[in-house]
Amino acid sequence: MNWKQYQNELIALGALLIMLFAYMYKHNQVTTQVEEAKTLQSSIEELKEVVALKKIWADKKISKKVETLQTLVPEAKVKWSKKSKKLTASYTNLSANELNKLTTKILNLPVVITLLDVTKTGSNYKVELKCKW
Amino acid sequence: MNFMGTIKELLLVYPSMERVFLKESVNVMLTPQFYTLKKEALPVKYAYQAKKIAPSLFEGLLEESSSYEYIVFKEEEQWVFIAYDMDKIVTFLASKGIEGSMVSKIYFTQQAVDKFSAPMALGEKEALVVLDESVVVVPLSALGEEESPSLKFDKAFTPQKGVSLQGNMGSFLTKKQAYSLAGILLLFAGLFVAEGSRYSGEEGGEEELQALYEAHPSLQSSYKRDAILQKYKSIDIQERKKRDSIKKLSAMIFKGVTLTHLSMNESKHKADFTCVSANVSKKLEELAKKENYKVSKVKNSHNLNIEGTL
Repeated sequence: MNWKQYQNELIALGALLIMLFAYMYKHNQVTTQVEEAKTLQSSIEELKEVVALKKIWADKKISKKVETLQTLVPEAKVKWSKKSKKLTASYTNLSANELNKLTTKILNLPVVITLLDVTKTGSNYKVELKCKW
Repeated sequence: MNFMGTIKELLLVYPSMERVFLKESVNVMLTPQFYTLKKEALPVKYAYQAKKIAPSLFEGLLEESSSYEYIVFKEEEQWVFIAYDMDKIVTFLASKGIEGSMVSKIYFTQQAVDKFSAPMALGEKEALVVLDESVVVVPLSALGEEESPSLKFDKAFTPQKGVSLQGNMGSFLTKKQAYSLAGILLLFAGLFVAEGSRYSGEEGGEEELQALYEAHPSLQSSYKRDAILQKYKSIDIQERKKRDSIKKLSAMIFKGVTLTHLSMNESKHKADFTCVSANVSKKLEELAKKENYKVSKVKNSHNLNIEGTL
């Protein structure tokens, strides 16, 4: 077969192949970048999550913040026992308002609630709380 | 492989020539019977400019039924235009046993006008001579006694530029079409490469990530990040569930319902509600079931015990 006879077609074919390679290059670049962007975004989200978790649960001021649970209601109604990073507190004769304030505060503190016991006695409430951080 | 057409054998082609048998490809030189010559002094600098006006120069001189191509070159102060019909040339060459695939380049005798220093015999009846700087065919009988056709033809006559026949023979595309198509395809190729290169340079979130690392250098270690995630994520999920449960139970306290006892530990919660009527009890039960809590009724009353797991 005399290839020279088809040199015009070969020129066009060569150009077509170059174009196809160029297209593949572009496609590869786009795919790679999309993958890289996904990986990068995933890394950013993971890092943000770690930062957020650390900020909430590894807060060095938790111990101080927990102290507010003692002062939230009159001292006579609280039996307080805080050792290291554990708290055992008993509340008696709480009004509905006091109970609401106390539970709201407990729920907003970044502590692990191991026990929360609320009992209605007459018109008042008795609360027992055990938590750690 | 021989890429240089000039070192191939050069075959002089004229109408009365004998049929030839070729074993390898050759260059051919065509005598004036195969082309129309015109010389003009034109105010153009480049051959491609002169070539553009070639068709208008030959207007009325050529057969309208044929398709002509042109070759243009400069001789001193004049531009030399040669018009030729490639189809006729190819047909003639084939009739003499010269297949198009065996022809590398085609030249015209006018291109080698300087080499014709003496008459050259074309068969038994004609000769090539130079008259007024043009190579022409004359009858041998017209030559004088001192003008015997003594010149021998060889590949030393090969001019610098010729017409390539390869690609014109048996091709589906003409040379012009092929180059146009290739040009368009290469343009697209260039665009694709440019676009691809542009993509390779962009890193959108890299700065944000670096800023986060700078703000929290201790988190650059993936081991540390994994350890933090492992330690706090389960706590976070579990504690959110506890708080969510308390909020849901709080939402179940409405008119006629009183919470008498709530107990929550690490794995479950239990709440006791007193209800003033069967209707209130039913409504509370519906709310509890909506949250997929386990509901049990206290005997001989409308009160309900609601349990759920964390």
